[in-house]
Amino acid sequence: ADGRDGPALAAAPGRAQVFSTVVDTFLEKLVAAGSYQRFVSCYRCFYKLQPQLTRSIYDQFVSQLQASIKEEIQEVKNEGNLEGLFSLLDKIVEEAKDREEPAWRPSGVPARDVRSALVPFLLRHRAHLRRALQERQERSSSLAEAVLAGRDSIAELQQLIQARQQAWQ
Amino acid sequence: MSVNPMTYEAQFFGFTPQTCMLRVYIAFQDYLFEMMLVVEGVMLKKLDAIPGCKISPSKIRKCTEKFLLFMKEHFDKLFSKMEEVLLQLVLNIPKNVLLPEDKVQEQYPYSEEEFQALQDELQQLQQQCRAEAVLEQELRAELEEQKAVKAELEKILQCFDGLENICREHGAGNFKESFAFLTQSSKKLQDVLKDVEEKSKKMNQHDQLM
Repeated sequence: ADGRDGPALAAAPGRAQVFSTVVDTFLEKLVAAGSYQRFVSCYRCFYKLQPQLTRSIYDQFVSQLQASIKEEIQEVKNEGNLEGLFSLLDKIVEEAKDREEPAWRPSGVPARDVRSALVPFLLRHRAHLRRALQERQERSSSLAEAVLAGRDSIAELQQLIQARQQAWQ
Repeated sequence: MSVNPMTYEAQFFGFTPQTCMLRVYIAFQDYLFEMMLVVEGVMLKKLDAIPGCKISPSKIRKCTEKFLLFMKEHFDKLFSKMEEVLLQLVLNIPKNVLLPEDKVQEQYPYSEEEFQALQDELQQLQQQCRAEAVLEQELRAELEEQKAVKAELEKILQCFDGLENICREHGAGNFKESFAFLTQSSKKLQDVLKDVEEKSKKMNQHDQLM
């Protein structure tokens, strides 16, 4: 994929681009080191016998080596979904660019690190409990009112009955 | 010099960058050796086909070893440079970067005490809810009782009202008064009876004393 953006964005190359470039550079320099001259100087006896074959053997060696290496890199990229991860990481890094302080890192003690992950759940639970408690308290309070009213009306009835009793004395 | 375990990178990539580099190094190296063997093989085959050839396989092997040694040296140097760049620029997470999955760590940096306090608060709220539930039950129970009691009282009241209705129907509004008069009179009689009893008792006592 072409990692170059339009002229408006003079962005630093993304990780994927750097990765490709670095691998290509490695190959280039390796092949440069293992030059034909070097090859010939090691296989001088064979070269004297078969100069043209030596050339073609060398060419095949180089192209095969490059192909294998590139294939391996591609496999690693595919297996690990590196292209996707690289662009995601680029984005994450870009979003954090204005931030200077070092970010949180795992402490190595899972019990400690899991605390903050649990907090949002606990807070939600707390809000739920507070709501539930309030509802229950409102219910109890209206029930209590009804109970008191009931006691009053029972007392009233008792008084009426007493009055009747008196009247019949 | 401490080795950076790159665990945060491993969390993101799913593999440790150094492990990845090692895998790649071994693979590349294998290819290099493989290619050299192929080269050697081709040459040996060719030499086989030439009659009276003065070049022995062991000589070819020496050539291969020479070339390979040279290649390996450069290979190692170049690879280690590549590895350095990749570990620093590509397979790394800068110190100021927090992965999105860890956002909560900076949103809710709760200390152990704060966390414990939150848990304690939750426990307390749960207890309060349970207490309210118990209270609610008790209140409902009393309401049920009150219903029953009220029903009984109202029945009694109805009885009284019934009596009054009977009185009214039979045009004896005075029935109540006469009934009340009757109850009073019987009470007075009872009082008089009591008086008489007492007096006779006294007289008997007096007689006995005489």
